[in-house]
Amino acid sequence: MKGKDLINIGIFSAIYFVIVFVVAMLGFVPILLPMLAVLVPIIGGIPFELFLTRTKKFGMIWIMSVIMGLLMLLTGMSWPPLAVSAVTGLLAELVFKAGKYRSAAMAVLTNAVFSLWVAANYLPLFFAAEKYWESRKDYGQDYIDKVNKLMPTWMCPVMFASAFVCGIIGGLLGRKLLKKHFEKAGIA
Amino acid sequence: MKGMFSTDIENRGLVLDPRTKLTVVIALVVFSLGGAGSGFYCVRAAVIALCLLPIVLLFTARRYKKALLLAALFVLVKSAEIWLVPQFTGAALSISSIVCMFIVRLMPSLVMGSYMLSTTTVSEFTAAMQRMHIPQNITIPLSVMFRFFPTVTEEFSSINAAMKMRDIRIGGKGAGKLIEYRLVPLMVCSVNIGSELSAAALTRGLGTKTKRTNICKIGFRLQDLTVLLLVLSVFVLWVLGMAGVIK
Repeated sequence: MKGKDLINIGIFSAIYFVIVFVVAMLGFVPILLPMLAVLVPIIGGIPFELFLTRTKKFGMIWIMSVIMGLLMLLTGMSWPPLAVSAVTGLLAELVFKAGKYRSAAMAVLTNAVFSLWVAANYLPLFFAAEKYWESRKDYGQDYIDKVNKLMPTWMCPVMFASAFVCGIIGGLLGRKLLKKHFEKAGIA
Repeated sequence: MKGMFSTDIENRGLVLDPRTKLTVVIALVVFSLGGAGSGFYCVRAAVIALCLLPIVLLFTARRYKKALLLAALFVLVKSAEIWLVPQFTGAALSISSIVCMFIVRLMPSLVMGSYMLSTTTVSEFTAAMQRMHIPQNITIPLSVMFRFFPTVTEEFSSINAAMKMRDIRIGGKGAGKLIEYRLVPLMVCSVNIGSELSAAALTRGLGTKTKRTNICKIGFRLQDLTVLLLVLSVFVLWVLGMAGVIK
């Protein structure tokens, strides 16, 4: 990897994180909390597919994934997202590598695998719920009840599945926009 | 215009080590945003002091107006949360507690984040990361990212204004194109800015195999020690609370 590749990672991480941040703000309305696993993979797919056209060397996707995990740590989501993103990032990297860093179908699948880290944000909700809410009492009992009702334990695999499926949708959308706009502009 | 996240180095008052700022950010995330140890009375009291720290730091960075405004807001909302909110019932209770929580929890970390970004130069950041032995593969993307946030937000607000003029907004005529017409121009200009940035960075020797030197003088001074002691005391209180020594 050269300096140019690392700079590209930084730029696309910034765009991706702005999207994550905007969507995460919606989570303060209880009903929209699960939407994070729907909206981030779809909207994030657009910059991510463009990022993949610049990915030619091993490690770029992995680093971006780890950076996302680090940022989650810095924005108060604790360590599970980082632990998951370190693994799914490597998997996404291997998927795209299997497509020789240029296969369009593999690029769509890569976005799906990459997006799995988003679902990891919910892990404390399912497996350490009591501890999670104890430190968040000031959200109000009303909010806590609503979220608990919305998120029974069986929702956990659903969240990961939703991130994966929406990742595919986002990947397809990204590819479509790539063809429609960026190839014409000569930057894809 | 100076954005929320852009650096203004000529007029920044008291200088803290980047690592000190990072420690404060992490402490705020753990205690204010994450709400760790909020079961203990002592920790809760100490966290209020910790939350006021970024505002004090803004003062030392000579942002008097902003600091005063934020201090007033924080004190007002925090006291409302403690004394006024418990007296509400029903919908008023849940709405007011969400609003208070949003401000009290989020604001300190946001203020600290913007303070950190607006008082740290990229060189200082890289120097600090180098001292912490973090590999270049992580530090280069991170430093590009932090410098890129102001650009992204600035470009985005301009694009937003242009799209509003064309009635492509929530509830407008072109609502279906809401996302596409905002993200695509944003990405095109980001990519262009990015290639300029790479060219500039490469001429400065970024990405060469040799070890880079740095003329920035960073290090822990008296002010760093004071801040770190405050942060440490909150952690100590938390541990004492968990050990059952204090309530």
